[in-house]
Amino acid sequence: MIEIQNVTKKFGNFTAVDNLSLKVPQGEFFGFLGPNGAGKTTTIKMIVGLFSPTRGDIFINGYSIVKEPLKAKETIGYVPDVPFLYEKLTGREFLFFIGGLFKIPKDVSKNRIEELIDIFEIGSWIDKRTEDYSQGMRQRITIAATLLHNPSNIVIDEPMIGLDPRSAKVVKDVLLEKARQGVTVFMSTHSLNVAEELCDRIGIINNGKLVFCNTRSQLQEEVARYDGKFESMFLEVTRS
Amino acid sequence: MSPFFHIIKYKLYSNIKTTLDPRFSSVLRNLVSLLVYIGFAYGAYRFAYVVTFFMMQKTFASLYLFHIFVSMILFVFFIAVNLGNIIVSYSTLYRSQEVEFLLCKPVDFKYIFLIKFFDNFFYSSTILLLGALMVLLGYGRYFYYPWYYFVLILIFVLIPFMFLSACLAVLILMAIMKLASRIGFRKVLAGIFVLYGAITYIFFSYTGPLTVVEKLHHYYPNIDKYLVQATPTFLKYLPNQWVSMILYYVDIGKINLALPYLFILLLITTALFLITILIADKFYYRSWLISLHIKSTGLEPYNVKKVHFIDFRLRSILPPQTEVIIKKEVFTFFREASQWIHLLIMVMLTGIFSISISHLNLRFRLHDLQLITYLIIFSFGGFMVSALALRFVFPMIGLEGKAFWALKSSPVKERKILWIKFLMGFLPILIMAEYIGVSSNIPFVKSTAMQPLLLWLGIISAFCISLVTVSLNLGLGGYFANYLERNPIRAASSQGATITFLLSILYLFILTVIFISPVSVYFEKFYTAGHFNVKIIIFPITLIILVSFILFIVGIRIGFKSISKDF
Repeated sequence: MIEIQNVTKKFGNFTAVDNLSLKVPQGEFFGFLGPNGAGKTTTIKMIVGLFSPTRGDIFINGYSIVKEPLKAKETIGYVPDVPFLYEKLTGREFLFFIGGLFKIPKDVSKNRIEELIDIFEIGSWIDKRTEDYSQGMRQRITIAATLLHNPSNIVIDEPMIGLDPRSAKVVKDVLLEKARQGVTVFMSTHSLNVAEELCDRIGIINNGKLVFCNTRSQLQEEVARYDGKFESMFLEVTRS
Repeated sequence: MSPFFHIIKYKLYSNIKTTLDPRFSSVLRNLVSLLVYIGFAYGAYRFAYVVTFFMMQKTFASLYLFHIFVSMILFVFFIAVNLGNIIVSYSTLYRSQEVEFLLCKPVDFKYIFLIKFFDNFFYSSTILLLGALMVLLGYGRYFYYPWYYFVLILIFVLIPFMFLSACLAVLILMAIMKLASRIGFRKVLAGIFVLYGAITYIFFSYTGPLTVVEKLHHYYPNIDKYLVQATPTFLKYLPNQWVSMILYYVDIGKINLALPYLFILLLITTALFLITILIADKFYYRSWLISLHIKSTGLEPYNVKKVHFIDFRLRSILPPQTEVIIKKEVFTFFREASQWIHLLIMVMLTGIFSISISHLNLRFRLHDLQLITYLIIFSFGGFMVSALALRFVFPMIGLEGKAFWALKSSPVKERKILWIKFLMGFLPILIMAEYIGVSSNIPFVKSTAMQPLLLWLGIISAFCISLVTVSLNLGLGGYFANYLERNPIRAASSQGATITFLLSILYLFILTVIFISPVSVYFEKFYTAGHFNVKIIIFPITLIILVSFILFIVGIRIGFKSISKDF
């Protein structure tokens, strides 16, 4: 469960996120949309503890990311917008590294890594250094690392970038399965189709403020008021 | 406009905008940098003046002898510029994203090479040039140079001398790439390593400072006559000797005799620069492709069944988070060629320094000379430890790069990350510092044959220097961290690194000043056969420990604040 309470983030005089409040209950697949520079990545970075909020607080399974960051982070699996990895490590070493950070026993890590290699079709790339990986392979390793410790909350920023259609399908299936198992998925995306297809609820942020937040069925009703296209509705509500 | 000038124009524009950033934090940072640079420049100037004054007035050195030492220093300087340019130009010429970008544009390879060559020269040699200029000012002041001498020597002697070294460096680098494609990168590197070692060894075996001093005793007072005859012929072909001779003839007012050396220097520099362009025009792009090939040889997967002794798959007695962070640090360090090669070079230099010092007979009859020798060796040891910390500890946080998200978003205390990094830098540097501290004190302990007080001073000060330099470099390395910089050498030669290094030098200066009084009394008592009261040393030691502890805390606090910042 992710609860954002009156969060504001300022960079100097610029307000990136403005008094944002949002609650994503356990097991919900939440889509977070918005134009470039709207505040999506800033919000996500605050959820996972990479940015500290200027005001307000964020609770992950009831733990404040500001006051109890370690307990909050234990429950999160995070996929950044650009999958930077330690280039001198192999994919397998990177996964063991993440396993160690989340204190997963070696034998459990070992088995999970083998499963994830199969799920994401990583193959022999797993034992090559990540500096030689393509964007898609980096993304697969990052997502595999996120799932390694079976988090109860997955925070994922632009998951489909760089993935070929086959890998994208695998990622979508895995995320849907996780949501069915009761994992909260907080996903930022630019792809309206992906959001429509996967999410239980969709929020749209513009200029740091939440301008739309409704379930998929309510979204359909809203879309009908325009020309029946989500794109038209999106463009309208994000008009500055 | 030619593409060369077009690109240079935009690079200059970008640099000027970055330098003149009007934001308060940027202005403050630039002001602090300026102050530190001024301090460094003044220190280099004073040092050069005092050394010149001391050599000419207090010792029996003649002007010619003094210039033999100048020639030796210039040789070391030439090699330092040369090696620095080889290492940095590998990154700028072959691993830069800017090169990849420009190679996709309709720009002649020759221009791309020239742009990156100048980029590299100014980046890796600016501080050395500043230092050299200040040394020239201190040196020239002693010889009452008029102001325009400084300008002329800077433009027509110092810059061409360094430029010659840089051209040679790039030619050597292209030769390395060519050879590497045939016999392998590692073999070529080993060959270069041996070659430079041999050149330095041969140079100093023929010009050996100790041999020169010993011979001087024999031929005194006809020193210059002996020196002119004894100068090895091969020295006449070395640029350091040309520069030394130019300075010598300028000092004695015989400018006409300096002109042939100046002519040779300028001619050779121009010729080598033209040869470099010519070779680059034919070979730079091919050598760039070779660098890609060398990189691609790492594409073979590792032998999965082979388990290294620090393999991630192995169990460990350490807590899991500590274990994986340490392993990650070790792997990322030793899989980066520029890291372990530099480490090897620096360990070798430390070994040479320590072994040489420990075998010297440093028993002088003059108490002042004994004290100065001790302080010089002490400062030089501290300087080496600071250089090690700068090179390997300063980039530690910045080199996490954009992958730092993995650590920052995981349930690991930021303090733990910092302390692991601190210990990983501190322990090896402490071992090397103690080795330097002990070996550089052995000759003094032997020569004074008193209680091993100096040895204890060496051990304690080595500990303090390691503690402070590592914490300052780690802390300020975090403060100035550029997570986009993937090259450790560039990170360790950035503006922030320079400031950190100069602060470490300031700390060493304070330490040396604190040491002067007790060590002076110690040597004085030895020469007058008096009793040295150990209590004299207690206050300075306490002061050193206190200053070091405060600076250690300051460094760690800066590091913690830096690592806790938004990422």
